[in-house]
Amino acid sequence: MKALGRGSIASFLHTALLFAWVGLWVAAALVLGALGYSLFLAFTREGAINAAALSELGGAGWQVVVPALLGAGVAIGGGLVIVWRLRRLFESFSTGDPFRRENAQHLRVIWIALLIMELARYATLALFSALMATYGPPEGARIDYDPDLNLWNWAEILILIVLAEIFREGARLREEQELTI
Amino acid sequence: MAIRVTLDRLLLERRMSLTELCERVGITLANLSILKTGKARAIRFSTLTALCRELQCQPGDLLLYEPSPDDLEVEEAVQAAE
Repeated sequence: MKALGRGSIASFLHTALLFAWVGLWVAAALVLGALGYSLFLAFTREGAINAAALSELGGAGWQVVVPALLGAGVAIGGGLVIVWRLRRLFESFSTGDPFRRENAQHLRVIWIALLIMELARYATLALFSALMATYGPPEGARIDYDPDLNLWNWAEILILIVLAEIFREGARLREEQELTI
Repeated sequence: MAIRVTLDRLLLERRMSLTELCERVGITLANLSILKTGKARAIRFSTLTALCRELQCQPGDLLLYEPSPDDLEVEEAVQAAE
């Protein structure tokens, strides 16, 4: 089976990414729905919309819910950006024309998105730790988390930086070849 | 670019159209237009050979060096260093 062009591995991955794209939108809708539903419940607890209930949002476990929602938002938002760019990338690979300038740009956006997601993960963990230290864990709950430095994520980012430059150089060479008569 | 292709002048002198030349040298009209309008980045020896053969000229008749302000600066810097 060929790697590039129509009916290739690239075109199979392009189709698979469409499902990932739809899945991420479903996840985003679920997170937003859950947030909206919890807000609705908090406001209508007393049978009417009550803005004062905002302070009680999340109940006793708000110090867990808030960082979790922030983390989920960043992960889903970043995931949407990455999958969208990957779809564009594999669309180009499916036509058998990988060395385009926009592909280098797609890879650049992907590594920037991964970098932001990784930094946001640390920020969320820091916020979570601060909330735990200040307010303590919710009653009756045992919180166990591991604030690890995932070196594989950093390796991925560095690999993508190099790949983006390779594609940029490839696009430049292709343009040069096209203009060689 | 500092190198200019004087294909239009040669075609005029030879009373030959671009279409006729592209048929003779076996290069597409689009590629020959790129060459004529100075958008080309490089020229193959095989293309140069075919053009010189059909236009009955030397490579120097086809190509002209016109230094840009940047090239002049480099030339001046080299002369100053010498």
